This record gives sequence, C-alpha cells and structure tokens, in this order.
Amino acid sequence: MTDSPIFVLERVFDAPRELVWRAWTDPTLLARWYGPNVETIVHELSVKPGGVWRNEMKWGNGGQRERMEYLEVIEPEKLVWLHSMTDENWTVSANPMMPDWPRVLLTTVTFKPDGDQTKLRLTWQPYEASQAEIDCFAGAMAGLDQGWGSGMDILAEVLAELQA
Amino acid sequence: MELTGYDSDALNSVFAALADPTRRAILQHLVKGDAPVSELAKPFAMSQPAISKHLKVLEQAGLIERAIDKQRRPARLRAEPMADAVRWLEVFRDYWAIRFDELDSLLDELKKADGKGPGND
Repeated sequence: MTDSPIFVLERVFDAPRELVWRAWTDPTLLARWYGPNVETIVHELSVKPGGVWRNEMKWGNGGQRERMEYLEVIEPEKLVWLHSMTDENWTVSANPMMPDWPRVLLTTVTFKPDGDQTKLRLTWQPYEASQAEIDCFAGAMAGLDQGWGSGMDILAEVLAELQA
Repeated sequence: MELTGYDSDALNSVFAALADPTRRAILQHLVKGDAPVSELAKPFAMSQPAISKHLKVLEQAGLIERAIDKQRRPARLRAEPMADAVRWLEVFRDYWAIRFDELDSLLDELKKADGKGPGND
C-alpha cells in the first residue's frame, strides 16, 4: 500500500569532523552522549563492516538494550548500520510498545565538513520489513511531516477536545 | 523512552490507519464535527463504499465511532487513541534530537579540553 518513507534528521555541530567522528566511534565518548540522562553501557563496539555495537541503557527498574550491526564504515565520512531493539539476550525483538514497529532500521549517518563545523545527516528506514512494519512506520512519518493532516492543527484540536 | 499504560496492539492499528492520506483527511474533516459517509465522500474522487471501507479501518483502530441508532450513521472522532499515538510519536521524534543535544555539549567539552590540554590522541 505504501512505499517505505525515510526519517531524516540533520544537525550542524560546531566541531571539526574528526572530533565528531571520534564521538561516534570511541566507546567512552559514545556512552557519554548516547542514552541521555540514563546510565549507558557500551558492552561491545566494533566499528567496522560486520562489527557490532551492543548498547544498554538503564533507568529506575527498567532498561533498554539495542544491537547495531555495521554494514559500512568510511572514516570519517559515513556510518551505516542495522539498528534493533533486543531482549535480555541481545536477540532482536519487537518493540513492546508497538509490535509492528520495524524491528530493524537501516541507519545512515554522514559527516560533512563545513569550515570548522560538521554537517551531520542521519536517516532511518525500515530494513527487510513486512508490509505491516512499513505501514506502521509510514503512519508515524506522516505524523512527523504533516501532523496527520494539514499542519499540526488536527493534533492540537484533538488534544484540546480530549482535555475538554 | 519507557511509556506505560499503552495498549500496544491498539497503537499498532492506529499507526497503520494513519498511514493512508485519505484516512488522515477524513479524520481532519471530523475534527470540525460529526459527518455521514455521503459528506465525507464529497472531497474525494471515491465511491461511498470505498469511503466506508476507510471508515471501517478507522473504526477498528478506535479513531472514530459511528452511531448505530441513526440512519445516516454519522462518524465521530475519538481522541484518546490519537493522543496516545501523538505521545508515542513525540518519543520517536525526540529519540535522536535529544542525543544530538547531548553530543553538542560533549563536543564543546572536548574542544575546550583539546584547546588547553595535551591535545588529541
């Protein structure tokens, strides 16, 4: 029914590309920013094609484990990996909050120098996904692009109605 | 990231229902007020049965309800499932944005350290 859309996030960082690259590929630095305000443990980080990043975040009595498998590593320009949530045993599993959320998201991060700054572009798209997963992701993307209507107004009105 | 009190299957169907532009347009129309199929079909080059199918998907996702005792069975928007979906969407939207904020601060720190310290490895 729907083609798989792509989630895109771009940001300019006020730091040279080599430094930004280091923050994504050094396990100590990575743990300091990935997993904001929660304890983050990088169990494994092997930044090379076929290598794996196993990441755990802990909060209260809960937590979340993720497994990333690198497909492409071009220092210091590009990282491509398969991004998944896992269970306690690092086995890829469905999102407990939404069973049809894509289990594997193809993640591409590009680092472009711009003077002393670095332009970063991150994309997420479903990988080898079922139609149900693609539909689920497409529904979410539609919400981001147009707020499930023309503009975010529908959401605002709906929420106002809910509170009334 | 942790959200509780969700009916995950319900959320699933909400997102699937919202993947379709016609269904999103129907919902938006319903924000203005209840409407029967005939009225909802007007803006689209679609038959009433086609629109009825879309309404069924929206109804199964819990996004609308339809009066049973009235002949025209006007559709009415239900806000709660939508609100859950919005909250989930915000978590998703912020996933990387929050991390990028942290990365931004870390890079600032690293630059300062590099500036006055012994330098990079």
